[in-house]
Amino acid sequence: MTFLYPLGLLGLIGVPIVIIIYILRSKFNELTVTSTYIWTLSEKFFKRRNPLSGITGLISLILQILTIILVSLAIARPIFTIPNSASEYCFVLDASGSMNYKDGGKTRFDEAKAYVKKTINDARLGSSFTLVTVDGEANVVYERLTEKKLATDMLAELECSDGTANMSAALSSAQKYFDANPSTLVYFVTDKDYEDHKNVRIVNLGLQSAENYAINDVFGALTGGKIEVEANVISYTSDAELTVELYLNGAKKPDTTKVVSVKAGEKTAVTLSAPAGSYDEFRVVIKNKDALMADNEFISYNKKSGDAFSILVVSETPFFFEAALDVLTDSVVDTVTPDEYTAQTGYGLYIFHSYTPDVLPDAAVWLVNSHKSVDDSGFGIRGSIELDEPAAIEKSASTSTQARKLLEGVDGRNIFISEYTKYSGLYTKFTTLFSYASNPLIMAGVNAHGNREVVFAFDLHTSDLALSSDFAPLMSNLLAYSCPDVVDRTDYYCGEEVNVNVTANMSSVKAIAPDGEETYLDTSTDIASFRLDKVGTYTIEILSGTEKKAYLIYSGAPEEESSPSSTEASFSLTGEQKFERTDGEYDPLVLLFILLAVVFAADWMVFCYEKYQLR
Amino acid sequence: MKRVVIDESFLGELELLGAVLKNNVAGMFGGNCRTKNLGSSCEFADYRDYMPGDDVTKIDWNAYARFDKLYEKLYFDERQMHTRIYIDTSRSMDYGTDEKAVAAVKIAAAFAYLSVSAMDKVSIYAIRGGSLEEIVVGMVGKDSYLGCIGKLNELEFDSDSRISEAIIPSSVGRGDGYSIIISDFLTDDNYEGAIDRLAEQRRDILCVQVLAREELNPQIRGKMHLFDSESPSKFFRKKIDKDIIDAYKAALKYVTDRIRNYCESRGGHYVLMPAYMEMSELFFDKFVNMGVLK
Repeated sequence: MTFLYPLGLLGLIGVPIVIIIYILRSKFNELTVTSTYIWTLSEKFFKRRNPLSGITGLISLILQILTIILVSLAIARPIFTIPNSASEYCFVLDASGSMNYKDGGKTRFDEAKAYVKKTINDARLGSSFTLVTVDGEANVVYERLTEKKLATDMLAELECSDGTANMSAALSSAQKYFDANPSTLVYFVTDKDYEDHKNVRIVNLGLQSAENYAINDVFGALTGGKIEVEANVISYTSDAELTVELYLNGAKKPDTTKVVSVKAGEKTAVTLSAPAGSYDEFRVVIKNKDALMADNEFISYNKKSGDAFSILVVSETPFFFEAALDVLTDSVVDTVTPDEYTAQTGYGLYIFHSYTPDVLPDAAVWLVNSHKSVDDSGFGIRGSIELDEPAAIEKSASTSTQARKLLEGVDGRNIFISEYTKYSGLYTKFTTLFSYASNPLIMAGVNAHGNREVVFAFDLHTSDLALSSDFAPLMSNLLAYSCPDVVDRTDYYCGEEVNVNVTANMSSVKAIAPDGEETYLDTSTDIASFRLDKVGTYTIEILSGTEKKAYLIYSGAPEEESSPSSTEASFSLTGEQKFERTDGEYDPLVLLFILLAVVFAADWMVFCYEKYQLR
Repeated sequence: MKRVVIDESFLGELELLGAVLKNNVAGMFGGNCRTKNLGSSCEFADYRDYMPGDDVTKIDWNAYARFDKLYEKLYFDERQMHTRIYIDTSRSMDYGTDEKAVAAVKIAAAFAYLSVSAMDKVSIYAIRGGSLEEIVVGMVGKDSYLGCIGKLNELEFDSDSRISEAIIPSSVGRGDGYSIIISDFLTDDNYEGAIDRLAEQRRDILCVQVLAREELNPQIRGKMHLFDSESPSKFFRKKIDKDIIDAYKAALKYVTDRIRNYCESRGGHYVLMPAYMEMSELFFDKFVNMGVLK
């Protein structure tokens, strides 16, 4: 026997104190009565019927001593060791979207937590518990925890995601603990069944009978003054009449409603259309109630509504740029001559053609055929080189991600220049896309202001680049680089990773989940990522200086989580299960408290008996 | 200590008690009651042979004509009774709540009232130590009763009492009524001697033992050092528990049984009266049932 808090035994000092108090106050009470005649006479009639009655006067003292001993023990928490009775448990808890199924008021995840909690509470004290949740990845909540209360408290705080379950991660995580101790009892609490589950106890919470409908493969397009939305709907358990509604731009009432007959387990296409010249968002909803509501809705946001930016071209001869931008972007393009340039602000991209500003604007900038050095641009001018005859420029052979991305779709052969400008002191972060005789001709990088910068060391008019087939893809890539879309798309499924393109002027990027949870993303790299683990609308909030922009994306319920039950092939651990147990413990705290309550009650009864002469 | 026990309301109670008892009690008390002796009343008792010197007016001449022999007619004697009431005025009667003393005074006053209502003579004595103190002597008639009975309010319960020494033959009268002793009898004194003397004097004996609630059913528990109110040198020191209480109750039963048996063996009556008992309950339930009152 050991004590968790041995200092609690100091309470036993109270025992001699109580005895001393008892002795000191144990005196005869004096009382004058009418006559002692009968009292004295009573001695002749006195009979001790109960041999234990002699100690009845000590009952109160005995109870008080017992109380002190029990309280001291309760504080000291004696723990008895019981050999070979404790086990190591490893719970793998499926936290995927299908665990949100509500079967009878409680979600499967709640039931799974209740099962794990019960198993923990039933386990012998001294057992250790490892808990791994599985959604898109395996997350170790705690490992080899021996404190039951902490284990169940942490379990209670777990929340289910809406994404898919990464079974291989779960399996490898469980295997790790099983390998470390082959006597580990591995439980996989899920809503799936497994044909093979060696060394794993599968706790299947799935129900075949649960009714569920889902909407998938949603696609919408504007055509002829109306929006047409196509989607697939499915009823997993039984044939059903599904009411599908289309809402435009956050409308409270549906713009279109359609009732679709679907057969169990079969995807049925449904098309809804509504008059619309443009849209910011549309929402498609199955109105029928079922066990998992998350997959009954899908929202599509129009990306363009949040991504608009404007471009300023400063050039005497902007023809090539205007033509390219007109084709490649919907952005507003303003053109001014160098004389008209007065450091205008508010543009996302500045293109300086054969003109160099005195100060670089605080935005993305293209410096085309610049003949003058400008502070913070990252390079200096060494001089112009005029070639005797046009020469082909060389496409970069770099395999860096940036170079490949910027040169995607660019052939790079047969582009000739007749003159160029030699630059010096090139900023090391520039990526060279094209060069001539080891002199960089087209470069992309970040200037000293942290803004993206593209440099052309020649004039488009002294090159045939603008006339080549490479011009459009190159301009497109450079535009995407200079003013990247914040996100590539707005339609995702839960569990997917979202990449946010970070530009230099972004001071912070924040992802706000549907439940309001905020995550600040790392803006030190070009791409900031986060994983979607909830179904619903995420807001990406970008702060650029004092300007705040919000982009909406939708995280839909993954299709594979919609089925009410499924059978997988295998969730087996390699190795041989052993059944060696460790020494367990018995904590009699509850028993002590019960005894304490009984002793307290008995002491109180004795007190009342003596005080109020109950008889 | 003066206590107002006899007041108007109590006297009202006595009137009511007397009125009710008059119909039920065939004159146990009263100067117009026959005695055990033969006398000169109008009520025929028996015949006996005439003897010279007898009153010739009481010869039954009809009997003479029939039997040719002289017979003297005998009649019950009818004379005034003398009820004597003895009140124990020891400290034990008054200790703590004074309910025992009050009960004793009320009983004495009630018996006195019933007696004077029946034209009997009443004397009330206080037993103080080994002697009697006269409170009321030879009280006859209600007028006298109302004038004298208030003295009971002056009664002090502050002495000890030795009943056997106090009640001596010279003070008890002979064959002329009831002698009522009101006491708690919580003493080892030889009160039997007094009862014997009363019996010898052909007195009708009634012992009323008045006990307080705490004496009948003691509630004290735990380690106690009990002192006697009459004699501090007497004490009882013990841890009082259920067994002790059981023994106390057995001792109490022994004491009450002993008095009852002794009284009854001498042709007397004994009544145990809890001090908290109502007078009406005492008289109707106890005395009538016992035959003290007929």
